[in-house]
Amino acid sequence: MVRILDGNTFVVSDERGDIEPSTTEPTGLFSYDTRFLSSWVLSIDGLRLNALSTYDLQYFEARFFLVPATGTLYIDPKVSVIRERAVGDGFHEELTILSHSDRAADIVVRIDAGCDFADLFEIKDALPKLGTYDTRVADGRLVFSYERETFRRETTISSSAPAVIDERGLVFNVRLEAHGSWTTDISVVTSHVGLGMGATGTKYGRGKRLARPNMEQSLEQWVADAPRLECGWEPLRATYRRSLIDLAALRFSPPIAGGRSLPAAGLPWFMTMFGRDSIFTSIQALPFASELAATTLRVLGDWQGTRLDDFRDEDPGRILHEMRYGEMAAFEERPHTPYYGSVDATPLYVILLDEYERWTGDRALVRELEREARAAIAWIDDYADLMGNGYISYKRRNEQAGLENQSWKDSANSISYSDGRLPGFPRATCELQGYAYDAKVRAARLARLVWKDPAYADRLEAEAADLKRRFNRDFWHTDGGYFVLALDADGSQVDALASNIGLLLWSGIVDVSKAKSIVDHLMGPRLWSGWGVRTLAEGEGRYNPVGYHLGTVWPFDNSFIAWGLRRYGFKAEAARIAAGILDAAELFDGRLPEAFAGYERSQTRYPVRYPTACSPQAWSTGAPLLLLRTMLGLEPIGEHLVVDPAMPASIEHLELLDIPGRWGRIDAIGRGRIDVAGGRMPSTSRRRTSS
Amino acid sequence: MEDATVAFLEGLSGRGVEPLLGGLTAKVRIDLEDGDATDHWLLDVRRGVIDVAHGDGEADSTLRADRATFEELATGRTNAMAAALRGALRIEGDLRILVLIQRLFPAPVGMPKAAGNRSVGRSRS
Repeated sequence: MVRILDGNTFVVSDERGDIEPSTTEPTGLFSYDTRFLSSWVLSIDGLRLNALSTYDLQYFEARFFLVPATGTLYIDPKVSVIRERAVGDGFHEELTILSHSDRAADIVVRIDAGCDFADLFEIKDALPKLGTYDTRVADGRLVFSYERETFRRETTISSSAPAVIDERGLVFNVRLEAHGSWTTDISVVTSHVGLGMGATGTKYGRGKRLARPNMEQSLEQWVADAPRLECGWEPLRATYRRSLIDLAALRFSPPIAGGRSLPAAGLPWFMTMFGRDSIFTSIQALPFASELAATTLRVLGDWQGTRLDDFRDEDPGRILHEMRYGEMAAFEERPHTPYYGSVDATPLYVILLDEYERWTGDRALVRELEREARAAIAWIDDYADLMGNGYISYKRRNEQAGLENQSWKDSANSISYSDGRLPGFPRATCELQGYAYDAKVRAARLARLVWKDPAYADRLEAEAADLKRRFNRDFWHTDGGYFVLALDADGSQVDALASNIGLLLWSGIVDVSKAKSIVDHLMGPRLWSGWGVRTLAEGEGRYNPVGYHLGTVWPFDNSFIAWGLRRYGFKAEAARIAAGILDAAELFDGRLPEAFAGYERSQTRYPVRYPTACSPQAWSTGAPLLLLRTMLGLEPIGEHLVVDPAMPASIEHLELLDIPGRWGRIDAIGRGRIDVAGGRMPSTSRRRTSS
Repeated sequence: MEDATVAFLEGLSGRGVEPLLGGLTAKVRIDLEDGDATDHWLLDVRRGVIDVAHGDGEADSTLRADRATFEELATGRTNAMAAALRGALRIEGDLRILVLIQRLFPAPVGMPKAAGNRSVGRSRS
């Protein structure tokens, strides 16, 4: 499949550029969660085409080289076809046909088009449509439309060359001269009503002459603005470059953001705002592109919950989980306008605000978002403590469409006791308490520094200290020497050992006296796979090395665990995680998947991909960026950036140049001195890929 | 039937600083469509203080809906973002206005009023 996108408009086609119903992955032109083309098939003289080669030049454009399918290799094609496509407010396609014959010929070029206006949710759940369709030919254009009450979506197709248009598509009767060529431009424009999502033309025209300056031009600018990486180990340079480009592709500009972008969660199916994913990715990207954090904070702040709404799991002060723009959201058949069923996004919001200020010194934004930050902190105490025991817990109020697990391990069986039983609700997972602690400590700093409210700061610090004391008592598994995964509805321990203890180090809630024991578990044989820390420890009842949150290794999780290890002074262990994940990144050609299998590294020698439809995934894209930070030991202190490298010896030499921040631009240089066990693969060995 | 709409709009006046508007300054016109006629309301928002006037006038942004839709918004029977996505509520001008104004609509029918902002208030004397 070939996938290109611009914001949340994307095209999924086969390698010929055709769109047809597919059993493996939904294909089509999608925008704002609606499919605007469900078939788009090119033929010449009734013959379909074969792909000679296909290039996705940039994330927003692809080029297909095609010949008619004659059914045999032994007849040289008399024509060939170049199809160039750029996505943006629909897509623009430049079709060129070349003659390889010494005789002129009349050919019939046909594009069959069709549209089902399916909502992404309808595709997923195979639901019927409730509105009415219309197809018309007007002013030399083919217009598909769909209407349900005031809801209206439209696809308009037009071409620069004269075409015979009927309700099934466009036909070009072409006189092709000997060794001549013929070309046309075709526009497919998507139009919505409401929220300024409509368009009157495609973003790109021939030679991109219509391009508005936010994509390719700014991709170069984007890479040029980021710190430069010098490193003796070529795979790390490649991974870094891949991460920057993928992060650029993942930028999404919500209608209310005034053209500014934040990181969407994943490409292409999660090209929308997710509180948790947008925040985690913004944190990872702070040393590289802090403007993503500013937009994330503003937009999530604008949408912060203000009322009680069981359908949307909304409370005052709560930060959203996910926004969707399709028909089912529009008719309140799904709660995503927006849906608030996440309990970690709210404390993480405050953590991002503080970390953003520490890097950028942008106190104006901290002042601007004072009310939002205070409301987020208030939510922790007023709405998130469902059991009245002083801990954040969750239980969905939307029993139909709400999420059962509302922290990052959101699959249905991710939270279990050691023996495999699933606890009831509410559930208070351990990392949530760490976030609450960190959010209060950080909000206290902002209250003193920016909001000039020392009494509020004192109160938050006292609450954080009390939380830390209780947490280290109530969540500690005395025999096992680790923090349990959660407390259940009775306040009893959900005793599985999981990677969540690593996020606790990141939050700082762990008593120093307990840190060593936590680190021994993280780097011990049950959690450490050789590539990274598994989501669930081997030996737990539900452990499964290919279970989504039950034993796979998540690069994002590991990047924050590495930061946590640095926070508690475990430099060698942090370097070991960086080495393992970056080795895996090399073997995934620089693009880390959302998760990979938790098999022992010595057993598989190559990291085994976990099947998932979304790639790149934003917080996996951000993982190498955060690992660069942890390896170089970058920490903003006051007006300065402290550099304290602790790198695996295999990297030898690493320079990150022109790191932007409140200090202007600064270089960080490190030398690898830490010998990590189970060193990396030779760079010459290549993985065989099936994808 | 339209009592809730009028009560909602008139009730926006005289609240003092509305914290949910985050210090907004903007002129917003509400256009209520009723057959061929349109009923206009002007919200003059200055640093979060709303002044409401019944009548037409210049505005930075306009929210437009038929009376029935607005009645549903004003009584918590529909959601503003959902209404905008299905074209029942239309905005011209600054899209962010929709996000701020929607905070003023009541919670869905049957939901208790939020407990308020007990912890949000500044503790500084």
